[in-house]
Amino acid sequence: MSTRSIGQEFVKGLWDDNPVFRQLLGLCPTLAVTGWVINGLAMGLATSFVLIFSSLVVSSIKKFIPNQVRIASYIVIIATFVTIADRFMAAFFPLISKSLGPYIPLIVVNCIILGRQEAFSSKNSVGRSFIDALGMSSGFVLALLILSSIREVLGVGTFLGLQVMGTWFKPWIIMILPPGAFLTLGILLGIALHIERKTKARK
Amino acid sequence: MSLSARMIIVLTFVGLLSGSFLATVDLLTKERIELNRQREIEEAILQVVPGTHSSQKLYEEKDLTVYGGKDKKGILIGFAIQASGIGFQGKITLLLGTNPSIKKINSLKVIDQKETPGLGAKINDRESFLKFWDNKDCSNLLTLRKPAVKTQEELGYSEINTVTGATISSEAVLNLVNSSLNRLRQLEKEGELSSEEQDVN
Repeated sequence: MSTRSIGQEFVKGLWDDNPVFRQLLGLCPTLAVTGWVINGLAMGLATSFVLIFSSLVVSSIKKFIPNQVRIASYIVIIATFVTIADRFMAAFFPLISKSLGPYIPLIVVNCIILGRQEAFSSKNSVGRSFIDALGMSSGFVLALLILSSIREVLGVGTFLGLQVMGTWFKPWIIMILPPGAFLTLGILLGIALHIERKTKARK
Repeated sequence: MSLSARMIIVLTFVGLLSGSFLATVDLLTKERIELNRQREIEEAILQVVPGTHSSQKLYEEKDLTVYGGKDKKGILIGFAIQASGIGFQGKITLLLGTNPSIKKINSLKVIDQKETPGLGAKINDRESFLKFWDNKDCSNLLTLRKPAVKTQEELGYSEINTVTGATISSEAVLNLVNSSLNRLRQLEKEGELSSEEQDVN
């Protein structure tokens, strides 16, 4: 169905169709867990795991699923991988699992994942769906990393827990509080839109 | 095959497959998750009752669990009380270590809290709050020093320093500690803290 090259299929998730900055999907975890880089990274990787495996499964069994029950089937498949991710993190990364709390199980309602199954995996080959999921995941991880880096550095003066700002720096506590998430996302969306307009005008 | 039959078969199949997958994952991770939980409690007990060799759960009720810490010879060297109560934004869970006569607090540890980062969350910060609980005499009711003072020496005998800008969170912790200490004394009087129940280890 898709006319893009494999490379384009991957790259579109990073910028043109970036799930956070361009599609505005998955904003709940984007806002909620990006106070610390480690949480943003863990959330990004967990979501990537779910997205990639759901896309693989959905694209390989798409022919057998009747149209009427496709959403129900997708959700069961997605929920299965979310539960696997949740249990895996609780078993091997108990500290991160504890600080992310309910947001790991909530990946199940992340619109990026169901959205990609509906819009892509249910219509494309396994290979293409894998590349698409890989691209979208990278775009999501990238967005969470940018957001959480800005918030952690300005909010507490650290990056991944390491002090990066000098003693002169007075942390902007608001940045790691919920308003900081909205401020940072708003400014980043503005910048993304600005760049988009500039590149369009040049064409 | 009719459509409805196909729908039923596909959904059943997807559900069955997902169920068996999850059962396998549960089997593989259950032990480890339980172990993590136990290790977390044990490490916390060791921190608030130093020198603990083995610990066991002595009593449990809603929002209060009492552990007894014993040394190598099996002599009780302190209690660790895990208590939960409402803070400024949500539940606060503490672990409080006392000596066996419940007259002195060894130290206090915050297990879980949802207070405002940068303000109330400082109840989990050693320098701003937790260090004031170390080796505190608790034979009298503890009170809060408001406004906060800079050093330990300025505090009264049974006074705890407030976290600046977070009176409600500080008070929540103080009330939780006072009420759990009272409950612990009451339980000890009633002889509920016998060590018959199963070992934590």
